[in-house]
Amino acid sequence: MANPLTLYVPIKQDAVSQAAAQLAYQNFVKSVTSGLDESGIVHYARVALIPNASGQGTYAILLITTFDGPMNPYLGFFWKNPGTQQAFAGIAAIALTPPNPPVKDLTGFENFINKNNLSKSASPGKPGDLYEAYTKTVKEITSTAKELVLPKQSV
Amino acid sequence: MTKTNNNSIPDKSNIQGMILRGFTHPYSCHLIFQFNDKPGAKNFIKSIFPYIQSAESWGDAKPDIMLNIGLTYSGIKATSDLSETYLEYFPNSFIEGPTSAGSQGSLNDWGVSDPSGWAFGNDTDEQHVDCIVHTYAMTDETRALIVSIVSDAAKANGLTEFLPIDNGTKRLEEYALMPRNFIHFAYLDGIDQPDLTWNDPADPNDTGDLRNFLIGYPLSDSGPGPTGDNPAGDFAKDGCYNAFRMLYQDVKVFDEFLIANAPKAPKEIQQTPEYAQEWIAAKLNGRWRNGSPLELSPNAPDVATSHATDFGYKGDTTGMKCPFAAHTRVGNPRDEVLNSSEPSPVPRLIRRGMAYGAPPTLKSYDGERGLIGLFLCGSIATQFELLYSWMNTTNFASTFTSQQGQDGLIANRDTPGADRSFNIPTADGSITIDSLPHFVITRGTAYCLLPSISTLKSIAG
Repeated sequence: MANPLTLYVPIKQDAVSQAAAQLAYQNFVKSVTSGLDESGIVHYARVALIPNASGQGTYAILLITTFDGPMNPYLGFFWKNPGTQQAFAGIAAIALTPPNPPVKDLTGFENFINKNNLSKSASPGKPGDLYEAYTKTVKEITSTAKELVLPKQSV
Repeated sequence: MTKTNNNSIPDKSNIQGMILRGFTHPYSCHLIFQFNDKPGAKNFIKSIFPYIQSAESWGDAKPDIMLNIGLTYSGIKATSDLSETYLEYFPNSFIEGPTSAGSQGSLNDWGVSDPSGWAFGNDTDEQHVDCIVHTYAMTDETRALIVSIVSDAAKANGLTEFLPIDNGTKRLEEYALMPRNFIHFAYLDGIDQPDLTWNDPADPNDTGDLRNFLIGYPLSDSGPGPTGDNPAGDFAKDGCYNAFRMLYQDVKVFDEFLIANAPKAPKEIQQTPEYAQEWIAAKLNGRWRNGSPLELSPNAPDVATSHATDFGYKGDTTGMKCPFAAHTRVGNPRDEVLNSSEPSPVPRLIRRGMAYGAPPTLKSYDGERGLIGLFLCGSIATQFELLYSWMNTTNFASTFTSQQGQDGLIANRDTPGADRSFNIPTADGSITIDSLPHFVITRGTAYCLLPSISTLKSIAG
């Protein structure tokens, strides 16, 4: 069963923070690919910069992922991976409301992610907000893809 | 308060006893409360404080009565002087509690286990839990004594007590006549606990290192939390989390399942219907009912291996001895090669549970019975909830042919998308049980902190 994370973080308006947001956006795929590949549980991850109403500068960072299984038990994996830790800690560093507790350890990371997650995973008695066209896991999909590719390579 | 130093040896006199040792008192009762107001809550803790048992050795003078205390996040909020800022230093899983969407992503209490039907612990004002008092006694008379001491103090201080048994009429008590460490499905339980150690220097690869369970001595920046030298870290230091679960065990469904599926066992197992049933029971659990692991005693239970813990699964990559989804193989996969997203080494839990309710009679299965689950950990999310998620969806190792499979005993069968089938590999091919029923139903849950003695003393004033 897949679950969503929609991390919505309004950011500071000073020039350094705004530049950091642009950098985080430009480097996002590069910095997280290794960690997300290794995890084998993330279907898609993308980042977007929400513009200010004036059209000048960035109001918030929006990070959207869809992943297999529960989230909290696996935050430790993403905290330990340098690329994903850097990406998330970078967003926390420019958050308009400074994270409490600071994002300096796994507890701070877990709390930051949960406090800023707009998505509600489906849970008993509570509706979810994620449409799924399929129920296959990343692992099932990638292993099937490998099987499909192998005969071509052997020809 | 002592500053954080992960090499300073913890003081046993400051740690609640159940964290370091399993109590062997034959009688226990677990009283579940909601506070009314702060003065009442503090005075309640003060009233029962003299009976708290620490982790210090009692030598030859085994206490006749004693207790340990757990506080949920709301219980800490109600009794402590921590500001909102520092209350937020506790991990989100503990703050939000077991009915939160985050926690239910792992616990999966769907359908028959839905929190709306719990006897305690769902997130309504009426059902939220603040405090659990775990009482222990040597005799039935002293059990009544310690229970009355606690319940009288609760009444005097305006607490509301949850009575989870028989439609709100009885407390959650250990069934004292049950053989020690046996559960209602007739398996020997509690065999394989983490070997709690204090390594000097700290050893990140030893999952039994006490630093993985006790707050205040973090092995890394992964916790346990709250970490650091701050009021929340000081409050929680020398404490440990307790994921408290009341789990009904449907013995009738379980017995009928064994009888119905025993004929599927291979011919050589069909010596008697009873042996075939035992074989199915062992395949579901990974150990025979006497405790012998299938890895060491694949064909029959053996007294010599009934408490064995020194074995692995690397030599059984086909599941021919022990099915991949057998309960004990899921709960502790040992040396099994896990997916890259999973932690290494495999995290452990300290289990201090016991059976409640009388076993069924020859004539009737009527009555409430199950497991009082006390799952102690330093991190609710990365220890307790991780292992629970594995049980509900066995997708953590490449050995699993189905990425939506489930633990043979514990899993919630209503989990969306769950594959309820269970495969038992044999030399003649795989035996497939199409649909596992609900053997276990959740009746209530509360996430507690077992605070240090000094923290409880500061609350008591």
